[in-house]
Amino acid sequence: MDPGLSRVTEGRERGAEAPSTGGPGMLPARNRMAVALLSLVGFFVAFYMLAYALGWTGPVVCGLGECEKVQASPYSKIGPIPVAGFGVVGYGALVVLALLGLRSGWERRRLISLGLWGGSAVGVGFSAYLTYLEAFVIRAWCQWCVVSAILMLLVFLASLPELRRMRANSHGN
Amino acid sequence: MSENQGGGGLKGFYLVFGALALVGLGVVGYAIGTRFSGRAVTTPVALEGSGDVQRLMEMAVPLYRGNPDAPVSIVVFGDYLCSHCATFSLRIRPLVEAAFVDTGQARLIFYDFPLNPATGSFLAARAARCAGDQNHFWEYHDLLYRNQLTWGAERDKISILEKYAEDLGLRGEEFRACLNSDRHAQEVSANRELAHVLGIGGTPSVLVGRAGGMSRRLSNYSFESIKEAVEAVLGAGSGEQG
Repeated sequence: MDPGLSRVTEGRERGAEAPSTGGPGMLPARNRMAVALLSLVGFFVAFYMLAYALGWTGPVVCGLGECEKVQASPYSKIGPIPVAGFGVVGYGALVVLALLGLRSGWERRRLISLGLWGGSAVGVGFSAYLTYLEAFVIRAWCQWCVVSAILMLLVFLASLPELRRMRANSHGN
Repeated sequence: MSENQGGGGLKGFYLVFGALALVGLGVVGYAIGTRFSGRAVTTPVALEGSGDVQRLMEMAVPLYRGNPDAPVSIVVFGDYLCSHCATFSLRIRPLVEAAFVDTGQARLIFYDFPLNPATGSFLAARAARCAGDQNHFWEYHDLLYRNQLTWGAERDKISILEKYAEDLGLRGEEFRACLNSDRHAQEVSANRELAHVLGIGGTPSVLVGRAGGMSRRLSNYSFESIKEAVEAVLGAGSGEQG
């Protein structure tokens, strides 16, 4: 075989497996890095609101909107649990899943992809419901809730490649 | 944790992740730490069970003026940074008091309703209550309304509110300790939340009714409206007795 042609063939084969080409099951995991970072910020935002709801902080820092009105509304809790508590758990789970998904050998695990995509889809739906409550029921905005809703939407968008990854892995399997 | 995406990129990611985690911990830790730092609480605090009107009624603490056994209640929801509230307190209230409160026919009940708490109205409401701890609530209340434009525009509201306390001859140290804490934050927060729950949309809002019974919200706060409403309640009361 011509040595030059051989190099081209090798390059194509290597390329088929390289992350940058988007080969099956080997999509770049940069989206998981984005999910981890965004979810970490969301975790702290939710934790701050939870701390406020539990009376661990002083007055809530709220330059825009009426956080205290939203927090004092009956919709700020589901049963005895502050809504922010669900945010802490949700964002925390997304951070853990994203970090696990970055581990060697875990990138193809369907559970990780499903957890990231499904979890963020549930999160974005829940955030949309809370945003609706702020706009039309409570009629007040809480800047931290809006920040959290935007973060969850970004996490969801960053999780979309997981659908392709799941499809690719199922074809591969 | 091992790396699967090119050592450099993942190392960089973990570095950013770690830094973000540290910043987040620092900010939240600071927010929790300030709870115990003795700073003046300037915005409403979270209330337990605030969605329940009955519970809110228990938590809300109004200020009274006049005969506790008066047959009529005149309930006022006011904000210290609302110009119409200043007009009501300084011009209308003296007329109402002279006609009905001082004569024992009605009792005036004041609830704080800081519409935009962060602008200073919540702090002012707490300050008035700190003055109330030294039995000077109404003097301080009126002083706040008289000087609304001055302290409202002041950046350092704590200092000017402390100065007003000195002007009224209050015990300065006691007032300062009260203002620079979370004292009365719960009552003011509950009063404000009660206003929201009752659907009070603006200030001043005046409600008139039989003492201990239902009150009707008046469409305006003019002396004539209040007079008409009080006389209607008094008239209905005497009609029932007759």
